[in-house]
Amino acid sequence: MPEQDYILCECALAPLEQLVTALEGSVEIAMLKEPAICMVMIKAEDSVEFQPFYLGEALATECEMLVNGMRGIGVCLGDEPVRSYCIAFMDAYTQMPGADMPRVNQFLTEQADAIERAVKLENELIMRTKVDFKLMEQD
Amino acid sequence: MGYVAVKGGTDAIHNSQLLLEFYRLKDATTPLDIQQIKAQLRMAIDKVMGEGGLYTPEYAAIAIKQAEGEVFEAAFILRAFRATLQRKYYSEAINTREMFVKRKISASFREIPGGQVLGPTRDYTQRMLDTTKATETEEQMQEFLTEFLSGIDQDKLKSIGRYAKVIDLLKNEGLLQPADPNEDRILKDVTREAIRFPAPRSARLQMLCRAETGGLMSLGYASMRGFGSVHPTVGELRYGSVPVRVKDATGRERYIGKIEVTEAETISSAKTKKKNAPPFYTIGYGLCFGQNDTKAICMGILDTAMRSPDTSSPANDQEFILYHTEGIEAMGFVNHLKLPHYVTFQAGLSNTRAAIDRSTATAPKEAKQTEQLQSV
Repeated sequence: MPEQDYILCECALAPLEQLVTALEGSVEIAMLKEPAICMVMIKAEDSVEFQPFYLGEALATECEMLVNGMRGIGVCLGDEPVRSYCIAFMDAYTQMPGADMPRVNQFLTEQADAIERAVKLENELIMRTKVDFKLMEQD
Repeated sequence: MGYVAVKGGTDAIHNSQLLLEFYRLKDATTPLDIQQIKAQLRMAIDKVMGEGGLYTPEYAAIAIKQAEGEVFEAAFILRAFRATLQRKYYSEAINTREMFVKRKISASFREIPGGQVLGPTRDYTQRMLDTTKATETEEQMQEFLTEFLSGIDQDKLKSIGRYAKVIDLLKNEGLLQPADPNEDRILKDVTREAIRFPAPRSARLQMLCRAETGGLMSLGYASMRGFGSVHPTVGELRYGSVPVRVKDATGRERYIGKIEVTEAETISSAKTKKKNAPPFYTIGYGLCFGQNDTKAICMGILDTAMRSPDTSSPANDQEFILYHTEGIEAMGFVNHLKLPHYVTFQAGLSNTRAAIDRSTATAPKEAKQTEQLQSV
């Protein structure tokens, strides 16, 4: 299964929000940083000599909280206050003793499958544009 | 004539801004939806993000709406917006070998790893105006999507490949010019310190990333036409999405999402300085936000041009390239000419008038001298 952050960044927001809302009731939350937008400088490197350089910045949202005293940090690209909150919550919750991990794992597995299906479907559409070269017959 | 300093114009400026808004709204059309702009004006969004230096499709869409579609202005707005934000993270270097490829072509080799994938491109369209777009309905859009997605067996989806790079093939054969050990490999950030020339390659590449597509195209084209010495072949051009990872406050590496980029590697013959030295190929590198083939290719051309010792043409001159392709600065400087220059112009005018007065004062004397000369 892909890493948790990948799934939470790429999955649909509504089911993630539903899960977090359901889990929130059983824990104590203390906000350390409300969701707020910030920037990430994207580092790149040229593909031949591996010369590092900065490509530009990307807008991101970050959030930080304590869930039953366990620190959780959520960062995701875009202006996504709800998602960054959910990522921070899940980050803390999944490290917490006594977490309902079967439920969390089931969610992650379902979402990972949905993401993979969507990506594979897109790939299928892209691969329709693959060129099939045929050499022209010489006269 | 002296000049009089003036102040005022506050009301005029305010009303001018209201008038701008009036012209945007006066035809009582439905408001442009940000999601629509984001989805249906994809290329404009990509351009604005690239030139604005900030990857944020939502805010780029707002900027385009605010600027009435003027992409220069929208990029300017985005640059101003980024100046209000705090930079909290630096990403790990993105790895384009991890790219989810949506387009991958080579003009140098027919057979490339994974084959040539055209992806979404207008390269092979006839640019005929499609007047049916004028009457497009939601039903037609849905119909197209249903039709397009039909015929795909959801249970037999192929796994996704990662493809070796064309340049790796050349590299493995030892055909690429070895890196110059004397080249400055320091990592500079032009958003934090002013650029000085000669600039290290990292600063040059960063400035090319933020450069205006048209400007890059102009100079890239000039170089190929002979006002420079770089006329490369596209080794590989890729467009797709790459994962972005950062280290959080606890030092853990975290996936935070993906960005779309276009990457170009252009191949040119390297000029050898020594006699009997074996010939090599040199690679120009281009990478930019979103889908923008022209920008990535021209970045590659100009990257090679700026590494060339030949400075006889503008397209090889670092300062010329980097200053004159920086769209926001160029636009700002050109447009400052519209702002009041009353004082400087009045000074010039006074000098001109004085010179004219002096010349008319001496004119009769000259006429008399001419008459005297003619009577001799």
